[in-house]
Amino acid sequence: MKLVKQDSRGCQYQLSSQEAKSLRLLVDQFPVAEQLPVKISKSDPEALEREKLLNESLADHREKLKQQSAALVEPGKFKTSGKHQVFRISQEKREVMLQILNDIRVESWRALGEPEDLENCAVNLPQDKFKYYYFMYQAGYFQYHFLNVEGQAGEN
Amino acid sequence: MPPVSEPVKAPVPTIEKDTRSKDQFAPTYYVVCWNDPVNLMVYVTHVFMKIFGWERQKAEKHMMEVHEKGKSVLVRENAEKAEFYVHQLQGYKLQATMEPAE
Repeated sequence: MKLVKQDSRGCQYQLSSQEAKSLRLLVDQFPVAEQLPVKISKSDPEALEREKLLNESLADHREKLKQQSAALVEPGKFKTSGKHQVFRISQEKREVMLQILNDIRVESWRALGEPEDLENCAVNLPQDKFKYYYFMYQAGYFQYHFLNVEGQAGEN
Repeated sequence: MPPVSEPVKAPVPTIEKDTRSKDQFAPTYYVVCWNDPVNLMVYVTHVFMKIFGWERQKAEKHMMEVHEKGKSVLVRENAEKAEFYVHQLQGYKLQATMEPAE
């Protein structure tokens, strides 16, 4: 997958047929795991009400992402060009795509038990968890390429 | 009749009006981003630029601080604004919290 064009309307990427298929399948499956509750503070004991609001807001946000996910990768978004697929996306929709991909990546990681070592966490993974490992890596792969517009790379 | 002296007026203390706004007395919070092994560095930088409108250099400085020191204090704000930023950052799936500032 590579960026072939960028202008004020958005970005155009060239993908192999396999990449295009994988991206569609991945985004179509969003959300891939249950959203686990998050903390709003590590030190404020009076933050319970705020925490409740945060988790409600995140659930709403996820629902909005879900409503937009199918349209992002509908077949009409991909055009065949020789052996490749060309995918065009606006800057605004790219933000939505990045959030969906990162939700898939982070929630898959949580479903795996939040391993510190991502490289070796697949060793001895139960069969029913392997899909999360796959989702986590697939999402990271596409995030990297969508963000490579800005010429950066790496993992936190 | 003894002369009646004029009553002495006690000086009126001048109390300067406190011009600080109500917000300046309100508790403030640090918005903190915590490290994890799953968020891509390039993504964290992108999110900081997007949410705070920072230049890449500043966003990368904070991202590296998260990566190397385990956390970075991003901003200090009143409760409402701090909460807003935490919602935004968590919406992008970064591990962010608001901690009371001393």
